[in-house]
Amino acid sequence: MGVADDTEDHGGHHLPAVEDWPQGFGEASWWPFVSAAGGAGIYVGAALFIMTSGGSDLVPQIAGPAVIVGSIGLFLVGLYGWLYHAFVSAFWSGGTDEHGSRTLRFAMLLFLGTEVSTFGAGFIYYFFIRAGAWPPAELPPLVSSLVLANTALLVLSSVTLHYAHVGLRKGNRGRFLGLLAATLVLGAVFIGGQVFEYYEFIVHEGFTLTDGIFASAFFGLTGLHGLHVTLGAVLLGIVFVRSLFGQYSAERHTSVSTVSMYWHFVDVVWIFLVVVLYVGAVIGGAA
Amino acid sequence: MANGQIALTLLMGVLLVAVAAFLTRIEDWRSYTPLAGGGGGTAEESGYAHEEKPGGLIRWLTTVDHKDIGMLYGTYALATFTIGGLMVMIMRAELLDPAATLIESTTYNGLLTSHGITMLFLFGTPIIAAFSNYFIPLIIGADDMAFPRINAIAFWLLPPGALLIWAGFFVPGLAPAQVGWTMYAPLSVGVGAGTQSGAGVDLMLLGLHLTGVSATMGAINFIATIFTERAEDCTWANLDIFSWTILTQSGLILFAFPLLGSALVMLLLDRNFGTTFFAVEGGSPILWQHLFWFFGHPEVYILFLPPAGLISLILPKFSGRKLFGFKFVVYSTLAIGVLSFGVWAHHMFTTGIDPRIRGSFMAVSLAIAIPSAVKVFNWITTMWNGRVRLTAPMLFSIGTISNFIIGGITGVFLAAIPVDLVLHDTYYVVGHFHYIVMGVLGFMTFAGLYYWFPIFTGRMYQRTLAKWHFWLTFVGTQLTFFAMLLLGYLGMPRRYATYDFPIGPVDPVTALHQVATLGAFLIAIGFVIHVWNFVQSWSEGPILEDEDPWNLKEIGQYTREWEWHHRRMETAIADGGDEEVATDGGKESNEEELTTDGGENVSETDCSD
Repeated sequence: MGVADDTEDHGGHHLPAVEDWPQGFGEASWWPFVSAAGGAGIYVGAALFIMTSGGSDLVPQIAGPAVIVGSIGLFLVGLYGWLYHAFVSAFWSGGTDEHGSRTLRFAMLLFLGTEVSTFGAGFIYYFFIRAGAWPPAELPPLVSSLVLANTALLVLSSVTLHYAHVGLRKGNRGRFLGLLAATLVLGAVFIGGQVFEYYEFIVHEGFTLTDGIFASAFFGLTGLHGLHVTLGAVLLGIVFVRSLFGQYSAERHTSVSTVSMYWHFVDVVWIFLVVVLYVGAVIGGAA
Repeated sequence: MANGQIALTLLMGVLLVAVAAFLTRIEDWRSYTPLAGGGGGTAEESGYAHEEKPGGLIRWLTTVDHKDIGMLYGTYALATFTIGGLMVMIMRAELLDPAATLIESTTYNGLLTSHGITMLFLFGTPIIAAFSNYFIPLIIGADDMAFPRINAIAFWLLPPGALLIWAGFFVPGLAPAQVGWTMYAPLSVGVGAGTQSGAGVDLMLLGLHLTGVSATMGAINFIATIFTERAEDCTWANLDIFSWTILTQSGLILFAFPLLGSALVMLLLDRNFGTTFFAVEGGSPILWQHLFWFFGHPEVYILFLPPAGLISLILPKFSGRKLFGFKFVVYSTLAIGVLSFGVWAHHMFTTGIDPRIRGSFMAVSLAIAIPSAVKVFNWITTMWNGRVRLTAPMLFSIGTISNFIIGGITGVFLAAIPVDLVLHDTYYVVGHFHYIVMGVLGFMTFAGLYYWFPIFTGRMYQRTLAKWHFWLTFVGTQLTFFAMLLLGYLGMPRRYATYDFPIGPVDPVTALHQVATLGAFLIAIGFVIHVWNFVQSWSEGPILEDEDPWNLKEIGQYTREWEWHHRRMETAIADGGDEEVATDGGKESNEEELTTDGGENVSETDCSD
């Protein structure tokens, strides 16, 4: 095989990726390709699922879900290898410098800019229907103690995460770990609350995705937000595990910063969502 | 039957794996040859770059080098350009006569949809990424992109995206999407007879979403690179024009593509899960148009601004003068970038939206002609009294300016509501935007490929063939797309496979369609010549000993990417002139060393020329 010979001792294996952060030259990495294969596989799985639901017998029914699950696995493997080699394995010796940290935080900011557009399309749909005759049909009990409690939990999680970060910057590792764990728990409870709300609406209220024009907005937006909170919780989990292994310090906390930015952003979206989608649908509607 | 097909699929899969395994064993597949002992002294010092690039196919699958990824983007884009071009050749052949003689009208619709989507999403954005990946880091003096691996994953999402988009053509049991590249609801929601409810449309939407993710990743990467990775002597004040256009374009992608992504998901949900986002009783089909064009019009500038940057970059090199009014070209770029988000509803003048909204969109659309004209006048003034050298890249640049004038002015007409009400959905619109996408983006693709050919390959292309390519393309473009403008005046509607109507001037329409088809075939012949020239010169063209093939030094425009090219040649010569090293680049850190040794004064040139 054409791979240039590997003089380093990695137990006789050629490491799939070398520590290459920031940019080395002449490096190579399998991880982007593996992650891309996994990511694209999710789309292919979705395509197969749609084909079989549409009556195509080209592939068996199970193919779509199987490809999706397998691809998610491959994608996660790719991301794991990627993160591990780029950031985790040589965290203290070869980790992100000040310049790299600034670049990463800037990139997170840009990513959040794209998120504004991603959420924007859904909100525009909601504003379109909200400007019409209202209410379009009988609305489920939107503003309940559950939503208020969930909102409080999410806001509180932003506060705990912020003070976890402050604790880290002040060298108070105990407080950092404790508050980070608290954030993670609050996030998990929030997701649980959302699942419970879906359960209540779908099973008890009979309010489902196909239940008219408000249902599209409600499940579309809360679903998209729920996916984001879930991703945020995964990211927080990664940060938490890494901190349990002793990583991060007052000077080295880039991914704590970027994950915080993401989490606060998702929190802000939720507040906006509660105001316009939950409260906004009820207020002025009955008149 | 189904079992047989599964067996066949498995067999094909095994065959593909075997071919891939075979390819990895071809040693001289533009393999990376490590620098011989003495040359690579600095490599160990950096601490990171202690691995060489692997060889063979593995090199390309694992590369995170911005130049390699640029090559991958370029190869991919030329392949998709060929496929999209073949699609339209079939369509043009069908339009030679009024009746449906060659292909079914459904096939025509499928080709029409795929031609548009292929050219815009699979060729347009990637070919720009090819140039910007290869050259932005070199021009701004960065080691690489800010995120080399995100750069790699962004590319690798594209091929599966293309396969999903084209799946309707080759997957048994699927029909290609026939919804047009604009995917208007309610047709795209699956209402009505035909294949619109088939999974071919869903697969295309999924593929589009995937390519959108890829483009967004690329945009974040470029903005981060230009903001944070510039060399110290490369400031905002002397940032070059190409980087400015890529920066603006990436800013547009940042907000346009994610919105399209969400709209595509909403469309998929409508099609498969019974939501009402674009249903008449829900968000209405007009909502789709709003969301689509909020993406779609910035997309036009996503595809226009970087080629305009290439004109601003190449034109002065062969005029012997600096770019006239540099600052105003930058300002006009930024102005177009901002205004482009405020013009989308001019695509919807005939949909019955509120006339007051229409009026304001007409005003902004007309206003965007001003920064566009600033560019044109600055380009013309750059050439004025200059020492113009009509090389192939220069010919393509000048041709682009003339195309842009026609495409731009027809756009001003279309921006006016009363004119648009007459010309909407006719071939006039088709002619107008092809003057931009083919006449500007296509032309500047060729200009860039010729201009930087010595850097890509270390060789020179065949100049005579390149001129044949230009003149065939230029004449073909005028014949095809000017005929379309006239067809529009005659009222020929877009998107039709036939024009065998009982009323109307069928004879002149037939003649004009035949002229358009003739022009299209001229473009195709030119492209074949181009591909031949490119491939043949790459492998057998004369190796350039001169580090300055365009004589840029004497006009003081020997810019950073050429300096880098020069350093690389010196490295190769110092090393015994290994040809492969010359093409591959060797070690960046090592080249920096050699520069200082070789007495080249890098700091004298800023990055603004």
